[in-house]
Amino acid sequence: MKRVLIGFFFVLTLALCYLVTSPTQAAYRVPTSSKAAVHIHLISPDAGSEKWARLGLGYFGRPLPLGSMLLQDESTSAAPKGSLLAFFQRMGDSSWSTGLHESRYAYDLIESVHVWALCLFFGLAVMFDFRLLGWTMKSVPVSEVARRLLPWTAVGFVVMVISGTLLFSAIPLRSYQNIFFRAKMIMLLLAGLNVWIFHSGVYRRVTTWDVENVPPKAARVAGALSLVLWVCIVLSGRMIAYNWFDCDRQPQPAIINLLTSCVPTQAEH
Amino acid sequence: MSLLTFFQWCEASGIGETIRKSSWLFPVIEAIHLLGLGVIGGAVLVVDLRLLGLGLRRQSAAQLTRDAQPWLVGSLVLMIITGGLLFLSEAIKCYYHDAFWFKMSCLFLAIVFTFTIQRKVIMTDESRLRPLWSKVVAVVSVLLWAGVGIGGRWIGFS
Repeated sequence: MKRVLIGFFFVLTLALCYLVTSPTQAAYRVPTSSKAAVHIHLISPDAGSEKWARLGLGYFGRPLPLGSMLLQDESTSAAPKGSLLAFFQRMGDSSWSTGLHESRYAYDLIESVHVWALCLFFGLAVMFDFRLLGWTMKSVPVSEVARRLLPWTAVGFVVMVISGTLLFSAIPLRSYQNIFFRAKMIMLLLAGLNVWIFHSGVYRRVTTWDVENVPPKAARVAGALSLVLWVCIVLSGRMIAYNWFDCDRQPQPAIINLLTSCVPTQAEH
Repeated sequence: MSLLTFFQWCEASGIGETIRKSSWLFPVIEAIHLLGLGVIGGAVLVVDLRLLGLGLRRQSAAQLTRDAQPWLVGSLVLMIITGGLLFLSEAIKCYYHDAFWFKMSCLFLAIVFTFTIQRKVIMTDESRLRPLWSKVVAVVSVLLWAGVGIGGRWIGFS
């Protein structure tokens, strides 16, 4: 189990390194078909009447004026060949991806599974963190909690990764250029690193502090870090659905465009 | 005052209005609501997995309940506060939405079940209890809480 986890995080690291270093310097826009927009919460560009709304439903069945949408069908924009961007663009144009985000139920169902698995994964991981911090189950040895509950966390994690990957494949390019998605991936990596440091460090000596009500400082730090990271991952995960910082919502501050590797086209200035 | 009038009053309230007008308040409250969901899930599962014999085994369910209870109650309070705020911002939509009533029914039943029947079964001396009963109680508890979660996600879909 541990080897599988380490292997997974190794692959994740490689993917992230590529993601960060791949060339993305070209003028393009995010080609999001209007159907995909059903899954994105759109913030009205009109600052005077700022509110969030969901395309297609509007509020209380009142359709939103299409003119206020900044999303457009433009799948032919030029991304440098061989770049990750071009890859995700092709992925987004594939019949699999289109089928997924245009389906009536599949996307919503996968998204729901992703949310519900939060209870299994996040809930139990947080309980373990609380034990490391000495906030709950003090009479239960730490190794006992790890042995009996962490397998469930692992099951939850697998469900999360599979459903998350499917969600990503439905709207790949927009997700890739989403600032919250990027933040989430980086924090995911840090959380994995934290797990690895904990299991190869202080947890090796668990027999010496197994029954302590409040574990040693190194374990408490690992628990606190894990708690903070997972909370931030959940928060940023929720925020991916909103389009405040999307490439097609220009003008954005330069720093945002840098972080999302967006290069606004001339027309948007 | 009919129920609909009350919902309309909620919708028109200052808090609901503020949340509707802001572009970031709803998402932020919703995200916190989601964190609460995770913690409730953890606190419920620790106890229910024990009752099913699939989680911790050496500790009594009564002990684990005492440990998990503050987190369950704490996150429940957080959920009700954030959920109430979300509700105020779209009360009329909720009134006409089946999922809202489904969720509220499940929530009511889940809370009542957890703090009466489940609690009584857990606090009973394990040697005097047929093991089947704790399993039945755990399954009912998981189903009721899952109903709340399913209903909640469902409200978000038109």
